Amino acid sequence: MRQQLVQIFVVLIVVAAILLGLELGVRAGYLKAYEFPPASRIAEGFVELATVGFPTGVTIWSHILITVERILKGYTAAILLAVPFGLLIGAVPVLDKMTAPLIVFFRSVATLSLLPLVIVWFGAGELTKVILIGYGCFWVMLSNVVASVKYVDPVLIRAARSFKANGWALYREVVLPAALPRMFAGARIALGVGFMVIVGAEMIGTIQGLGALIMEARSFYRSEITVIGMLVIGILGFAISTGLATLEHMLLPWGRSLDRVQR
Amino acid sequence: MKRVEASTTPAGTTGLNADRDSGGRMAMIDIRRVEKRFSARDGTETTVLHDINLSIAPNEFVCIVGRSGCGKTTLLNILAGLDKASGGEVRIAGERVEGPGQGQGVVFQQHALFPWLTALENVAFGARSLPIGKPEKIERARELLQLVGLEASAGQYPREMSGGMQQRVAIARALALDPEILLMDEPFGALDELTRIEMQQELLRIWDARKKTVVFITHSISEALMLADRVVLLAPHPGRVARDIHVDLERPRSRTDRGFNVLYEQIWGGLST
Amino acid sequence: MTRGERAADIGWGLAGIALVLGLWELATRAGAIDPSIFPGPITAVRMAAGRLPASVFLDNMGWSLFRVTVGFALGAVTGTIVGFAAGWYRGFGYVARPLIELLRPIPPLAWIPLAIIWFGLGEPSKLFMVFLGAFFPVVTAAYHGITHIDPALIRASRSFGLKGVAMLFHVGIPASAPDLATGIRVGWGLSFGVLVAAELIAADRGLGFMIMNERNSGGSVSVIIVGILLIGLLNLVSDAAIAAFIQRRIGRWHGA
Repeated sequence: MRQQLVQIFVVLIVVAAILLGLELGVRAGYLKAYEFPPASRIAEGFVELATVGFPTGVTIWSHILITVERILKGYTAAILLAVPFGLLIGAVPVLDKMTAPLIVFFRSVATLSLLPLVIVWFGAGELTKVILIGYGCFWVMLSNVVASVKYVDPVLIRAARSFKANGWALYREVVLPAALPRMFAGARIALGVGFMVIVGAEMIGTIQGLGALIMEARSFYRSEITVIGMLVIGILGFAISTGLATLEHMLLPWGRSLDRVQR
Repeated sequence: MKRVEASTTPAGTTGLNADRDSGGRMAMIDIRRVEKRFSARDGTETTVLHDINLSIAPNEFVCIVGRSGCGKTTLLNILAGLDKASGGEVRIAGERVEGPGQGQGVVFQQHALFPWLTALENVAFGARSLPIGKPEKIERARELLQLVGLEASAGQYPREMSGGMQQRVAIARALALDPEILLMDEPFGALDELTRIEMQQELLRIWDARKKTVVFITHSISEALMLADRVVLLAPHPGRVARDIHVDLERPRSRTDRGFNVLYEQIWGGLST
Repeated sequence: MTRGERAADIGWGLAGIALVLGLWELATRAGAIDPSIFPGPITAVRMAAGRLPASVFLDNMGWSLFRVTVGFALGAVTGTIVGFAAGWYRGFGYVARPLIELLRPIPPLAWIPLAIIWFGLGEPSKLFMVFLGAFFPVVTAAYHGITHIDPALIRASRSFGLKGVAMLFHVGIPASAPDLATGIRVGWGLSFGVLVAAELIAADRGLGFMIMNERNSGGSVSVIIVGILLIGLLNLVSDAAIAAFIQRRIGRWHGA
């Protein structure tokens, strides 16, 4: 308890020191306001973003919404495809052996490197971004679903068999529930991946969305808006992962997700 | 060094002659009125050890027996200098115990061997504070591994060895500093019955060969009777000395011996109350 | 696993790869997929070779590898030192941990504009990005490793007279090695991805730039495809190499 208090105290001091340092440094002329936007400017920028918007007409809330919408579309598509495929591959060893190196390879392809290709095929619109997010999320989720089925504790299977649970019943009542914690963990990681992809994908060919916001702001020398955008992205990412973790806790009181899962 | 005088006081009692044992020799380990209290987070205090008085002679093999929670491990940690008593004092060869490195060799419950070092390197680590060169340390480590019968496994990692082998390496490591005292905290607890019996015989052999004072913690009465000159019973809540029994049986001892079983009943009775 | 089983697994794996490649090539030949947009593997390589000389590929690859390696090294070393220090010295941990936790949710790519503001458009900004990609996973892993050492090992080393910095080096760091190794592998993968993205968005050299440039200048799709495959292959090979290295150093004693 005492340790936590000390930590909070230190955090407050450090944050205050940084903000103060920035403010003073800029006012005294040691730091360029462009490179180190002080708190005052950031506050003003935020107000502008929240009301008038940047570029004009697009408020921070719009940006957030657009980014989230894109993520959700790509992510949902990926999950809906990855789960059935993953369950199938995990259950049939031959399929697993055939697809294993392929999955590893496709996962290794840096998702954003596909951007030029997808633009050539589908243009520079919304679909491209959704496809990219979908690609990144899909392979991560797939490998985790496959692993979740493959690595169900064999002791559980044997125990279930000794109670005459076989075939489909075995799958439904033992394998699936045992696989759920790891599948959830995979879903969490996949969402993280999707988040990273969209931030990058929005930096090319669009002026709406958080990734686009921070890039645009830079070319107009509004560095404080870039910083705000970064902080919002961070908060959003944090909220998403915490939200998923809480959801997982509520839905799966019996299982803790593993720390080390495949990325 | 105090002058040794003849004494007729019975062993293990408090009083002016508490630093001498029944044979009149100066005690190797002198534990006087040791207390250990712990404060929990909410402020409540628990007394784990209360008024512990023990006098252990050089070369004596003492087993400490007791139920869980009687503070045996805490007492051992204090003897090892890894923990400080809240009251009272402990002296080794007349000097107050301030920390490790005063002639205590420790063997822990879970061998606590460094997994990233081979058996040889682990034993050599024990000798690290000695003012000798690296080749001498390695040589010493090799000798000790020979002593415990593991010279062939010198290059193996703990992960590649069985439980009995790991504990033997742990013993060799504890002996690396050639300590006067060997403190052992249920070292054979995790081993299967057969290995345990083997290890007991090994230990007695080493003790006989190297002449050390041994304080050995166990929860097994028969193990205590197989090994010790003296069995100290600790009662729990708070931990205190309940009985101090001399084992006058000649070694090698047999579990079927009548004398053995009489003592067994005595100790069992002592533990059950 | 017996050698026969191993060989069978590899056989199935190769079969799977061959199947996919074969289908791809067939589909383009049969006209199910338009070869000018999505050439089959053999065609793609041929077209790419005709469009750009191999030296261009190699040059860009060299730049990318240089950036990744240097940036990763910087990030991993810094992350290791900071992570260990934050875990071992409580005072430092009080200051460092919240700062790291605050910055961690921000994906490395989100730093691109700021990196450009601070470092301009040259190499330093790319190195900074890769540095970030490596730093966070490594610092987390190092911190976790150093704060989760088996207390039995600490007690044992104390009984041999070890304390302070000596204990950190002789016990703390080796005991943390497995966790750190995982962090390094993750960090490398992340660095790679960050680099490619950074090159796509703001660079004038490197594999990422090469494929983006090809699209922007209306060049051949084959170059893009080959570039993507190259990136994937590089990632795969380098990760396997790192994993093998780790297995050799740590695999023998870890895993009980």
